[in-house]
Amino acid sequence: RSLSSGSEGESRLTRVLQERFPRASSIKVVDISGGCGAMYEIHIESEEFREKRTVQQHQMVNQALSEEIKHMHGLRIFTSTPKP
Amino acid sequence: RPLSQAAGEGGGAQGSGGGGGSGSGSREAVERLVREHPVVVFMKGSPAQPLCGFSNAVVQILRLHGVEDYRAHDVLQDPDLRQGIKNYSNWPTIPQVYLNGEFVGGCDILLQMHQNGDLVEELKKLGIRSALLDAEKDQEKK
Repeated sequence: RSLSSGSEGESRLTRVLQERFPRASSIKVVDISGGCGAMYEIHIESEEFREKRTVQQHQMVNQALSEEIKHMHGLRIFTSTPKP
Repeated sequence: RPLSQAAGEGGGAQGSGGGGGSGSGSREAVERLVREHPVVVFMKGSPAQPLCGFSNAVVQILRLHGVEDYRAHDVLQDPDLRQGIKNYSNWPTIPQVYLNGEFVGGCDILLQMHQNGDLVEELKKLGIRSALLDAEKDQEKK
């Protein structure tokens, strides 16, 4: 259950995000804790973010990963919408 | 100091339950804190000595805009507040920035606002003139 290796954690988080953001055009998860699964950087581009303030967009990601976040030391989130 | 990537705050303090009752982490207590001043920051450490890279980033950004007079709360000193502020904003990480009592976001969002000019605008709404506006003026004179 714990996110032991960087790439395992990255894949797992990516899968969760794909499920929660079915309309995402791009999802990228990077372990920035040197493979410890302690800190991640999340880049996600999705139509689902359109017309929402950044803090709301980040909140959506927080909710999607609420379980996983409990085991992290920190995370960085970068959201965007696809060019129309 | 550079805006480093040092550890932020992840899943919160497991202990101290929710924010009920009259403790320092209760909704009422947090509400009072966020309304205390136009600019309120919940961070790790203090503006003079941040204890986390993300908290430091917030302090540095505010400093760039000439905002040195604000309320900063060190959540490391108060586990109830640490959990309470996360419950209040429904946001899992520290630092947390409040402008005029409203939750604005963490370090990433403040950085974005700084880069796209939104922070200057938001400060203006609070009656705070960003130091960067004066810096620009000086540039134009040259």
